[in-house]
Amino acid sequence: MYHQNDATLAIKNVVRVANIIANLDTILQEAKNLSLTAKNARVVALRAGDSAFGFKPITNFIDEFSELTIKTTKSISMLSSNLFEIALSVVRYSDFQLRLNIAAQYTEHTDIHHLQQQGRLEFIRTVKQLESAVMHLEGYFEDILKQMRSAEYIAVTSRVEASNAGEFSESLQSVSNFIAGAAKNIKHAINENLKEISLLKGALR
Amino acid sequence: MKSTEIYSSTTHTWIVLGRDSQKSEKIIDTNQYLIKSNDEAIILDPGGIELFSSMLASLLKHVKLEQITTLFASHQDPDIISSLGLWDKALPHATLHAPWLWEGFIRHFGMDNIQYQSIKDEGGEIKIGKAALKFIPAHYLHSSGNFNVYDPKAKILMSGDIGAALEKNEPPMFVEDFASHIKHMEYFHRRWMPSNRAKNNWVARIRELEVDMMAPQHGRIFKGEMVQEFLEWFARLDVGSASD
Ligand SMILES: [Fe+2]
Ligand SMILES: [Fe+2]
Repeated sequence: MYHQNDATLAIKNVVRVANIIANLDTILQEAKNLSLTAKNARVVALRAGDSAFGFKPITNFIDEFSELTIKTTKSISMLSSNLFEIALSVVRYSDFQLRLNIAAQYTEHTDIHHLQQQGRLEFIRTVKQLESAVMHLEGYFEDILKQMRSAEYIAVTSRVEASNAGEFSESLQSVSNFIAGAAKNIKHAINENLKEISLLKGALR
Repeated sequence: MKSTEIYSSTTHTWIVLGRDSQKSEKIIDTNQYLIKSNDEAIILDPGGIELFSSMLASLLKHVKLEQITTLFASHQDPDIISSLGLWDKALPHATLHAPWLWEGFIRHFGMDNIQYQSIKDEGGEIKIGKAALKFIPAHYLHSSGNFNVYDPKAKILMSGDIGAALEKNEPPMFVEDFASHIKHMEYFHRRWMPSNRAKNNWVARIRELEVDMMAPQHGRIFKGEMVQEFLEWFARLDVGSASD
């Protein structure tokens, strides 16, 4: 389980967690934009009246899932700071292990063996913690990914509705485009994060 | 790492650990002190991360791990206490006594388990088994929040960076000839120590104590007459050289 490279690997994990957290900002920003767009679109749809009749439920729907995405992203933020702490503690324990191994070269004292054993257990425990936090995180990201798939579907539907909205057609069209764009950006950020997560999972194995 | 007993009585023992032949030449050599009494022990200025392994191995020649209940950091420097994050894992139930001024800083070395016990500016006292120790203020020498440890029974003053000497190779444990030792200390004291006023106050404070041995964190230990010679030399020295 333990080898010399653990300390280096542990640091790399922290970097991965940092990348994931940096990407969260993009996701949160885009989700906020989506929610704002939904609110604006509802105003336009209202003004368009009967001609944009099909558009109103769509804006409600966008509003709903953008709120959901914001909420999920915030939960992820909370989990992430926890994740950072655990990843750091993995770094600390692996460093501790490394230093103990050196001490063991100087002396065969049983206390050192004891510390090594204890340290190894703690190391494994924190790695397991990290593993489970990462699994949670993956679940959240997959939730958002699903939300984004429906967002894209809605973007297509809304485009059809927009084309029937007469003089409001153009502004509603741009709403549809915006939804499609935001969903694409969020999906991209999430896919990047899922890639980091799979590397992280690989490293923990 | 070498360890040498410098004092022993029925109540307690002082051991100096240092002259680590394994350490890289690029890091400054340090003295760590272990005081043990009954089933308790304290490490004074436990040292840097780089020293942790050989310190741990050397300490275990003298004490059981669970005996080490207390750590002391004279100030916040990396050569004093950057090993804290590792001791935190090895001695989760220990208490660290260190200047209140540095708590928020020292915690950056990583401290989840060990307790931080702040030392007030005026100093304080602590008992380790049957040994009574005093924290003597040595602020601005060189750190702005800084303490020495005085043992009235052993008459030893652990003086931290005061009295530090930078010598190549492996110098002997004790100062033999004061005049020839000056060249290893002068630059250090003139450059690292910022305040003549703080220095003179400290000299006056120490002159009121009975000191048989002055044990710095770098270089040789001063014994007997050498302690007085040091105080006289230090009293005359003009410090804060880089401000000129
Ligand atoms: Fe220092
Ligand atoms: Fe020092």
